Amino acid sequence: MARRSPVKVVGSRLLQALPVIVLATFMVFALLKLVPGDIAVTLAGDNASDARITEIRHIYGLDRPFLVQYGVWLGNVIQGDLSQSLLTGEQVATSIGRAFPNTLLIVVIALILALLTGIPMGVIAAIKPNGWVDKAVSMIASLGVAIPGFWLAMILVAEISLRLNWLPATGAKSLTASPIEAIRHALLPGIAIAAYGMAEVARQLRGSLLEVLSSQYVRTLHAKGLSMSRILWQHGLKNVSVNLFTIISLLVNRMLAATVVIEAVFAIPGLGSLIVRGAIQRDFPIVQGVVFTMVIVVILVNLITDLLCAAIDPRIEQ
Amino acid sequence: MTEMTRREAIALTSAAIAGVTLSGRAWADIAPKRGGTLRISAPANPSSLDPATGGAGSDHAFLFTMYDTLIEWDFETLAPKPGLAGSWKFTDPNTLVLNIRSGVTFHDGTPLDADAVKFNLERNKSDQKSNIKADLASVASVEVTSPTQVTLKLSTPDTALPLILSDRAGMMVSPSALKAAEGGTVARKPVGAGAYAFVSWADGERIVVKRNEKYWKPNRPLPDGIEFSIIPELTTGARSVTAGQNDLIYQLPPRQKAIIERASSVKVVSGPTLYVLQIFLNWAKPPFDNPKVRQALNFAIDREAFVKAALAGLAEPAYMNLPKAHWAYDKSVAGLYPYDPDKARKLLAEAGFKDGLTLDLLGYPDQDSVQRQEILIEQLRKAGMTARFANAPIAEASAAFFASEKRGSGLLSAWTGRPDPSLTYSLMFTKDAYYNAGRAPVPPELEAAIKESRASEDIEQRRKAFATVQRLVMENAFVAPLAFQYELVAMNKKVQGYRPNLLGKPKYDDVWLES
Repeated sequence: MARRSPVKVVGSRLLQALPVIVLATFMVFALLKLVPGDIAVTLAGDNASDARITEIRHIYGLDRPFLVQYGVWLGNVIQGDLSQSLLTGEQVATSIGRAFPNTLLIVVIALILALLTGIPMGVIAAIKPNGWVDKAVSMIASLGVAIPGFWLAMILVAEISLRLNWLPATGAKSLTASPIEAIRHALLPGIAIAAYGMAEVARQLRGSLLEVLSSQYVRTLHAKGLSMSRILWQHGLKNVSVNLFTIISLLVNRMLAATVVIEAVFAIPGLGSLIVRGAIQRDFPIVQGVVFTMVIVVILVNLITDLLCAAIDPRIEQ
Repeated sequence: MTEMTRREAIALTSAAIAGVTLSGRAWADIAPKRGGTLRISAPANPSSLDPATGGAGSDHAFLFTMYDTLIEWDFETLAPKPGLAGSWKFTDPNTLVLNIRSGVTFHDGTPLDADAVKFNLERNKSDQKSNIKADLASVASVEVTSPTQVTLKLSTPDTALPLILSDRAGMMVSPSALKAAEGGTVARKPVGAGAYAFVSWADGERIVVKRNEKYWKPNRPLPDGIEFSIIPELTTGARSVTAGQNDLIYQLPPRQKAIIERASSVKVVSGPTLYVLQIFLNWAKPPFDNPKVRQALNFAIDREAFVKAALAGLAEPAYMNLPKAHWAYDKSVAGLYPYDPDKARKLLAEAGFKDGLTLDLLGYPDQDSVQRQEILIEQLRKAGMTARFANAPIAEASAAFFASEKRGSGLLSAWTGRPDPSLTYSLMFTKDAYYNAGRAPVPPELEAAIKESRASEDIEQRRKAFATVQRLVMENAFVAPLAFQYELVAMNKKVQGYRPNLLGKPKYDDVWLES
């Protein structure tokens, strides 16, 4: 069977993503309009009056039909304009541009930490299944899955920041201005999110490695006299790498979601804090903008994963 | 030396003496010092940095640094005192003359003269984007009567105006910046004449201001600038101060006091404010359409116990909408509702609720609010009332209660004070006021007394009018006030000269940093 060119594959995948983007943003928009609470009241301020609230609805176009409001937003997006915050007037693209690197840095750090710890744990557990090492690993992994990230975050702050004073307790620094400071600020939130990732990587990797190691061709390799380490590194890991990439892509998406809570604990002005503020104040352009960004990130991550998997394992139908 | 600078000198000296006794260090080290950046943890992103278009009471903490007001107030009593207007006078009940200080300029160099004041007042009064039109409703016209004098012609006598001009309506914005601004607002590029000039604002993250080198008050401000980090999670904000990443945090909940005092690097300042926790009532519908039920509610609340249990004692029990320290406080009204659950039961029985009554109230879901609700539920239970709270975020609950939906018969919330008490009363206790949730009528003598409170400039007469207003509000029990929460500010020990104020919206006028 002839393989389709990667360009075509990417193109068709991106085309398929369009309805997803429209559907996701429309659903969030509808939810925001369905829940009670009215930004016009907030905009009218502490000295609000009924007349002023009506006037504000008109000024900001909040009195127009629901579908028209969504249509206007979508029309602006197509022209590359994410519009601006109703409350403060800041361009949503500016807010996102500033917040996204903070969130991305935490996720990248968390992912690296999760892989650096999770992969060795998974491998050593799989070498001697049901031995004491394996049991220890699965206990740590269970803890990692069970401990809530926000709780771990608070414990880390109390011990490492407040008592030992090793790392800052709150905030974020720009990566371009001071890379070392930026990483120092992102380290604790990264660890808090990584705990879950480590557990997930270790468990999944152990499972798939065991499956590979018990397969017939590995038995043949043993019979050929190959050493355990060569079997593991040359054949075993190569065969589970497709699974590993899938785990990573799921993890990235999960970690992005986890930042919503973690950013609040560490007062990090990232995408999570941004969408929470937008949702609480019913500032829908902000919420829409963040959802739009998140959907695109998730679609891209999945696309890249699929391409990587296909490159490693040609059997995967593109 | 003018009156004001002498006051400030005294304040600074006493701060310096306090510093010496505390640290035992030499005078030379402790004298007010220029320089350094004050780093503040702020609880909320401002709604706008344009005083006319914003709306949240939390904005003032930023606005006051960049904008000076025509009139200022005394920190302890909120009595008006000169600001950008060096003096003012009602030449007759319908005419207010403001004499503007000469030589003051905005941060962009535009002179702050009578024309600039006229431009601002007219914009605040009639611009479509202005949220404070109602504040200046009594102003019929603004005339420039000399380069340093503005005369306000009023449609009705309004002696609340001087203090109204100490708030948003009196914050002067550079007219040239406004004329050049896109959309006619300086929401994102504020230009005022305050102690600090705007540098940058990143939404939900940081606001930076720097010293106004041409500020009109001598030797002010002392720090080079202020950096506000916006940290909505107050526990996190408090941690940033104990960890030394910020110097000061304001509007802390009382429960934080014990926690933060454990940190040796931090000191805590607190003082009374106008911020009052209260249950707003909808008296247009049952059961609160019956005055006896409203009175029963007020008798059923043990305010002393509430202050101890819910606010760690860091509050003043509230029996009306003004605290003891305020110039218009009336002592006789405070005795109207002593804690008396038996009286409450009796009133309920008279109102036809012999077997008790279920109250559907709204509230907020944060930890402090829920704790207050639990205490109230228990207190009301002893008086035969079963309170049920439905909780939702502030924007949602308050819109549901005050706007068209009219959900719930009461809302446990708070009222942030206004510089002039007449605003507090007219915004809550007049027929069509937004904070009169049922838009129900009030006794004509109450509306008359509120009007009367704005008719005379004489402080004794105003006090008398407010005594009548307070008595009528509380006799009708249109609200159930609970407690005036103290301002609670925690700061690094190197921060000197910070004083709380009665309004409860922080001003950093005399603050300086010890190195």
